[in-house]
Amino acid sequence: MRPNQVLLFIIAVMVCLGALCMVLPGRVAWRGHELRWPTLAEVTGTEAETSETSETSEVSEVSEESENPEGSEGTEGTKGADSVPAQEPVVIPKIQIDSTLDSRIYLRAFYASLPEAAERVVRVLHYGDSQIEEDRMTLQIREHLQARFGGTGVGLMPLAQTIPSRTVRQELYMNRRKVNPYHGPQRYLSYASREMQRADGKYGVMSQMALMADSLVPGSEEITAVCIPQTASAHYTRWQVFADSSVHYTFSGDTVRLQGRGAVYGLSQECEQGIIVDNIPLRGCLGLVFTKTDSAQLADFYSGQNVRLIIMQFGGNAIPFNEKPGTIQAIVTGLREQVQYIKACAPDASILFIGPSDMLRQTEGEWQTYPMVPYMDRLLQKMAQEEEIAYFSLFRWMGGAGSMARWQATGLAGSDGVHFYRSGARKAGNAVAEWIMEGMMD
Amino acid sequence: MMDFLHHILAFDAESPLLFTQFYFWAFFALVYALFAFIMESPLLSKSKVKSRLHLRNVYLLFVSWFFYYKTSGLFLLILAFVTFSDWVIAQQIRNAQTKDYGLRITKYKIPVATVLLALSVVIDLGLLAYFKYAYFFTNMLNDLFGTGFRVFDIFAYIGNGFSEAGRFSVDTIVLPVGISFYIFQVISYTADVYRGRIQPVKNILDFGFYVSFFPQLVAGPIVRAEEFIPQLYKPFRLSRRLFGLAVFWILNGLAKKIIMSDYLAVNIIDRVFDNPLLFSGFENLFALFAYSLQVYADFSGYTDVAIGVAMLMGFYLPKNFDSPYKSRNPQEFWRRWHMSLGRWLKTYLYIPLGGNRRIGFGTYFWWALIALVSAALTGWWWLLIPFTLLIAGVAVAHRRIVHGKWSNGKLLYSNLNSFITQVLGGLWHGASWNFIIWGGINGIGMIANKIWREMNWHVRFGSMTVLTLTLAMLDWRYNLPVWRLFAVWAGIVWTGTLIRYIWWLVTRDKLRITNYELKITNALADAWAIAQTFTFITFTRLFFRSSSNLDPATANEVAWATAKNMVNQIGGAWNNAIIPAFLWEFRWVVAMFVAGMVIHWLPADWKRRYRLRFASMPLWLMVIAVCLAILVIYQFVTADMQPFIYFQF
Repeated sequence: MRPNQVLLFIIAVMVCLGALCMVLPGRVAWRGHELRWPTLAEVTGTEAETSETSETSEVSEVSEESENPEGSEGTEGTKGADSVPAQEPVVIPKIQIDSTLDSRIYLRAFYASLPEAAERVVRVLHYGDSQIEEDRMTLQIREHLQARFGGTGVGLMPLAQTIPSRTVRQELYMNRRKVNPYHGPQRYLSYASREMQRADGKYGVMSQMALMADSLVPGSEEITAVCIPQTASAHYTRWQVFADSSVHYTFSGDTVRLQGRGAVYGLSQECEQGIIVDNIPLRGCLGLVFTKTDSAQLADFYSGQNVRLIIMQFGGNAIPFNEKPGTIQAIVTGLREQVQYIKACAPDASILFIGPSDMLRQTEGEWQTYPMVPYMDRLLQKMAQEEEIAYFSLFRWMGGAGSMARWQATGLAGSDGVHFYRSGARKAGNAVAEWIMEGMMD
Repeated sequence: MMDFLHHILAFDAESPLLFTQFYFWAFFALVYALFAFIMESPLLSKSKVKSRLHLRNVYLLFVSWFFYYKTSGLFLLILAFVTFSDWVIAQQIRNAQTKDYGLRITKYKIPVATVLLALSVVIDLGLLAYFKYAYFFTNMLNDLFGTGFRVFDIFAYIGNGFSEAGRFSVDTIVLPVGISFYIFQVISYTADVYRGRIQPVKNILDFGFYVSFFPQLVAGPIVRAEEFIPQLYKPFRLSRRLFGLAVFWILNGLAKKIIMSDYLAVNIIDRVFDNPLLFSGFENLFALFAYSLQVYADFSGYTDVAIGVAMLMGFYLPKNFDSPYKSRNPQEFWRRWHMSLGRWLKTYLYIPLGGNRRIGFGTYFWWALIALVSAALTGWWWLLIPFTLLIAGVAVAHRRIVHGKWSNGKLLYSNLNSFITQVLGGLWHGASWNFIIWGGINGIGMIANKIWREMNWHVRFGSMTVLTLTLAMLDWRYNLPVWRLFAVWAGIVWTGTLIRYIWWLVTRDKLRITNYELKITNALADAWAIAQTFTFITFTRLFFRSSSNLDPATANEVAWATAKNMVNQIGGAWNNAIIPAFLWEFRWVVAMFVAGMVIHWLPADWKRRYRLRFASMPLWLMVIAVCLAILVIYQFVTADMQPFIYFQF
């Protein structure tokens, strides 16, 4: 072959591919499958620019809308839909929000309770999904509050810590033999698969419990947990065990030994006075599980332990599987019921809802924000206003649509486009903590 | 159109010219059009073949520099400097050798050529060390001595007009793309000139073309001077079949990179490696094996494209991968994996260290350094005791070998030198501890396998039994995931060893084994050896991955934490009940992995046949085949991502 012939071959291939661009623009449905092919404009870059602009302009568009509560219909949703070319247009209903409202006014009861920390414990519970696993984000909130109002210890942890925490390392022994937590006592979780759930709803405050002396798990009648603080701020002055009265326990240093038969709802390393911030991650959870938990149990804990702030950080797990506004609305309605339920169980506590972060997916070969993220964020904010609870928009604080890509590029978030790295979680946790603290000054 | 041209011509750090992007192929089409004009234009006299080739070389040199500028911007100056420096030094080496120049120091005469070679290596490795290892060495010094040194970009300082403030940041050192590859190429050139294997290239532009030929500039293969430089002076030669093969390699490479590598990476590997604790033991194990395939598909895919593109221009690059996961032992793996690097390390590091024939100062030096650095950085100073004993034992054994009292010199020397080669080869892959650990594990694997092959079957079975029992005891005693993992692995290997041991006992006295039986048992033995080698190599991959967008200290920490967490999950968070659900929900990902492995393990003869069949098809049919292949590949480029599903709580 001579170079001219090779060149002719290259030209022939390019001409054929160009012809395909004209014959098969965008997507073609074929026997239930979708055949994708770029348009000439996409190949030459003009389409790509539009897409980039849509990502970067999202921030300003959202912020504009927040200044104008009567924002034009479907601003966010249209944006989301635009970023997924050739998909069926998603019609986003109008959301009216009072953007002038500083929702921290709903934390007043919590702020007012803080002076009590000089004499007794004031407890903050941080429920969330996988974004807060390993004590991520909670750690910064705890550090800020404890630095200002005193207090030590990391608070609650499950008896079998299947998900390691960066602040407390746990070793578990059954009948004095070390076991992997996954192979420890039988656990029941309100947010897990059906076989791990229980009918009576007695999961306790952590939405999970471990059963001692269960006939299925030999050796579970005597369990020892060694919980070793990993950071200076994790040191504690007292233990608490939340368990059925039939479970007996003794403490020795970082070790707690439990014997008997019954449920263990959690261990806690804490202080006599000051702030305790509990990290309660519920992996893969939409946040719709609280109503499945026995209300009396929750109410007892909330009042008995002086819980004055409950942080709920959910919504992210709804995003990848739901592309219709109606479904998102239904989920937010469900979350509203959870908020009402928690409020009823903890009438003295303030509630802060943290919305989902920006989340990316790969579509058409490009990383783009899931179309429903901005919509869910706004819906949650609206729900929070109507329920008179505080709301922190992680999504908008990050910079809106596309911000996760910037976080990835700067080593703050993982390549899955969903989870923060520790550095990112630290940044986000500090932002939430500072936002709470600033509210006190106002 | 202006935007399009601007996009093609201007440097943009965010959009380098990559084989997987349309812009590269538009660029290549334009380059090839002018290339064809140079090679075929009647304006250039046909009788002046040499001048036509010279023009071609100069043209491709500037094209390659433009390509590098698009990829790395002003780092082109580093490439140009290295080209100039090694060209000049190689000329002077030959000059000094011809005239037998020497430096007389007392009674010793040091050849000037040797001094010049050392100067060249110092310049080349100095640049590589500066750009690639500055953070690594700074962190190491800070860790060892508690200092607070920070990197300082001297080139940025000069670029700013000897000021810390200006266009370039002096606080960060950016790694020029491809520097690890082209530095090794120029070293090979100067060393080959020094050894008299090749004549120095007379024209610096020709030499520049060899150093910066764009298809292999960024990710290899590392082309040795003696392989490539003769091609500069040969006329264009591309048979019809070779043309077909070039097209095949390009498509094959793109398919590997986009269909296998990127799809697996996005849908399972990246997310598991980023946060292993979110996933069960099985998912972690699957991701680890998939990562083995991804690394291969990514790297070999890129070099396949490079080989194909170079062939279209009449240049032939060496094969870089030869189905490495078909290897039956670690040594074979390293003969099949990144072959151009393996050959380079063998020629310019392993053999100069002594290979399997001797050990000398270099061997002792590197072992002492490995011992010292390992002890200092782990804080386990007791490590110096076994290392000292080892080095002393080596010295004694060496003495006995020299005096003819021991005959195992070949095994000893090759193990010592190949371990050093593996550790330094690991460091070449990345400037962090995990790569050194990765190299070290590979070195240990090679040594263990060599020793294993020296054993008879009684000793093999006995030692495997002892090892398995020890690991089982450790698992029982400490119940740590790492011991569980090793114990299970050892148990599987022990089972295989037992079967082979029994077979050996049964057949050793049997004089007549049919050819059929022999064929079957050999095939089974090969399959077993391949599975074990693949598993071992996959295990080493735990340390092969580090995040490029993190600062080096954090990258080290993250890489170590990732390896530890994955081991913890695989050895601890194992739940058979969720495996079916995972396989179903991730069926496309699993299917892609299985398909990739099946294709990889196809017999070489089958692959050769379908390659030739493709290469021989009529051109019009090939055009259609190429378009169809690109259509399929594009479906994967734009494939939607598999959403997160949690199986374990």
